[in-house]
Amino acid sequence: MLKNVAEPEPESLDVTPTTPKAKSRTKVFALNAKDKYYALLFLGPSVLLLALFVFYPMIKTLYISLFLTSGLGKTTVFAGLGNYVRLLTSADYLNSLGVTLIYVFAVTILTIALGLLLAHLASETLPGIGIFRTLFSATMGVSVSVAAIFWLFIFNPSTGFLSLLSNWLHLPVINWLTQPNTAMVAVVITTVWMNLGFTFLILLGAIQSVPTSLYEAASVAGAKPGYQFFHITIPMISPTLFFVSIITLIGSFKSFGLIDLITKGGPTNATNMLVYRIYKDAFYSGNFAQASAESIILTVIIALFTLLQFKILERRVNY
Amino acid sequence: MMKQLSKYLKYDLISLFAVVLTLLGLAVAQKPQAVQAATSDGKTQVVFWHEMGGPAEQALLKIVDGFNKSQDKYEVVPAYQGSYDEAVQKIIQTHGTNTSPAVFQSFDISTAQMMDSKYTTPIQKFADADNYDLNQISAGARAFYAKDGQQMAMPFNTSQPVLYYNATLLKKYHITPPPVSPSYSDISRVATQLYNRSNHKVKGMTVQIYGWLLEEALANARTSLTNNSDGHDGTPTKVNLNNPTTVQFLKWIRSNIQQGNFINYGSGASAGTNQIAGFLADKVGMFIQSSATIGQLTANNKNKLGITYFPHPDGTKANGVAIGGAALWISNDKPQNVQQGSFEFIKYALNAQNQAQWQKATGYLALNKDSQNETVLKKLYASNPEAKVPAQQLATATPNKTNSGILMQGMQLTRELEETAMETVYNGGDINNALTTANQSINDNLKLTNQANGVKPK
Repeated sequence: MLKNVAEPEPESLDVTPTTPKAKSRTKVFALNAKDKYYALLFLGPSVLLLALFVFYPMIKTLYISLFLTSGLGKTTVFAGLGNYVRLLTSADYLNSLGVTLIYVFAVTILTIALGLLLAHLASETLPGIGIFRTLFSATMGVSVSVAAIFWLFIFNPSTGFLSLLSNWLHLPVINWLTQPNTAMVAVVITTVWMNLGFTFLILLGAIQSVPTSLYEAASVAGAKPGYQFFHITIPMISPTLFFVSIITLIGSFKSFGLIDLITKGGPTNATNMLVYRIYKDAFYSGNFAQASAESIILTVIIALFTLLQFKILERRVNY
Repeated sequence: MMKQLSKYLKYDLISLFAVVLTLLGLAVAQKPQAVQAATSDGKTQVVFWHEMGGPAEQALLKIVDGFNKSQDKYEVVPAYQGSYDEAVQKIIQTHGTNTSPAVFQSFDISTAQMMDSKYTTPIQKFADADNYDLNQISAGARAFYAKDGQQMAMPFNTSQPVLYYNATLLKKYHITPPPVSPSYSDISRVATQLYNRSNHKVKGMTVQIYGWLLEEALANARTSLTNNSDGHDGTPTKVNLNNPTTVQFLKWIRSNIQQGNFINYGSGASAGTNQIAGFLADKVGMFIQSSATIGQLTANNKNKLGITYFPHPDGTKANGVAIGGAALWISNDKPQNVQQGSFEFIKYALNAQNQAQWQKATGYLALNKDSQNETVLKKLYASNPEAKVPAQQLATATPNKTNSGILMQGMQLTRELEETAMETVYNGGDINNALTTANQSINDNLKLTNQANGVKPK
């Protein structure tokens, strides 16, 4: 029932605006009986599946969030908005909200900046560039658990790569995963590394589709490469940047696997993100009501951010 | 074109029906059904869910295998379920479906939840019908899983918190080892001497930030954490964490921190690993942990290992500590013969020989009193005399309502809040403030839990 927020959903990918809506809406009502039958037939299966696996769990989550749940996970006492009020006034929950926001912004900004840098570098046509393109997009093929184990080895205080490096450079060894601040840094680094492959590939595709005539014209006019990058490349790939930023933002709000495998929300709740909290409240403490309320709050937050991005970024996007 | 389309639609229609039928089929399959309880060779199948990983799982599978070969009526099918915490939810949420287990292992702090669920058949019922003598099983271990004189579950993997010390280091610095049942000041004395005489190279002691250890300190000082005698006389409605015993325990730790004897490894699984590593590397001389770590501490230790009982406050006698670990429960959603098969398996797992073998393989305590006469254990004690201490601590304590565990729902969250309070104190915060804050949150949560479970406040 909580799955709808815990996993990335394919439909959230569909953020690029499609054909004008008003026109097609009038047409639907103008359909004749036979066409309506076909429309129903075509839409039926997906509506049915969505209803069963998305809408029903969503409504059920909302319902549970308005109750208290017993030790058996059953709704017993109606609580109204009690669960929400308690959450939004608890220092613990507000801390989770804070660390989630820090994490989300750090991950989104770093992913896009690094992805753009790599994509720009790899868009040059040089001999052997294919090797670099493959390397830069390689993290797409790495599963979360493998990445987590790989990074756990790197962060290990006694045998890890980072501690060996520190020893070699005569720097103090940092116990990355047991101190609140460094644990957050470690989780951000790992997530950015995981995201980079996909972002790189998408941005590279966008950069390569910018017509070369624009650059040629700019060169003739005497524009420097840096100027060309900011005044031709960025505006031309802005729809893609917009798409990638939304995907990364939503994805990092939902981040779960790496947190579970690397820090388990610790130390002292420093990496206890909203989604991980939902999981712990539901499946460790058995407090399904509170977990449901947290899911609804998370849904609202993600919806708000997506809306905000559409409102602000869309105006600057050059389709 | 039209023909093609209609042909296509026909297939689409067929696939739509297929989807609908599949979903209906799934829905029907989800309904509770009579469980298919027989294997192909006519044995009654008994599904057993457990949470033992690593060497303990190997030892457990040996017991299961032994049981299946010992008779031809039942076939126990073991299934590993991951961590204790997650298993509890799986057990409760699958109850009444055909995927639920017939017999399952559930950990100490889920006991109140399991008792209140009414999803299990009490062990007492089978023991009475079978004339099985429950007195052969350790009374201290049984007390945690009993309510109103009824044995609800059978204790299985059972541990005691004990204090470990590095006997070689103590000898090296000419320090008298702590007595077998030490007081707080006995431990402080050793910690100070070790820290000073090693020229501050070895820290004296550590106590992991772990709610279980705090609760055990209360038990050992005959103090209840909750009203209604820690839940043994009815559902707790009030928690009293900010009591003189807790304050005394934290003050003892605080004074050692201030003198520099103490090293803080933090909380969580990594803290447990790091403190063992520190102990084995002569960085810290004493620590308190479950007796189930003995195996790890003897196998890789170049030093001689010393073990004492859990420390108690000065001027009192140790009350004894509650057990940790998990128990075996029998689900009541299975037919009578399956439940009987579950009990037969439990009897087999708890017999003297299997329990002795279990202690040797895992470090969990042998619960059958006759296990102590088994050659396996006699041999173990001959080579590692200190291995006897946890069992002695369990045997010498008289079970009462303060040292038989806390029967309260929501213990997972309670422990988290206790640990936050400990963390605050370890980092120099005010003891009284930390305990008041934690106590408030625990009580708020308890009130909601009781309200949801329909418990009326008294």
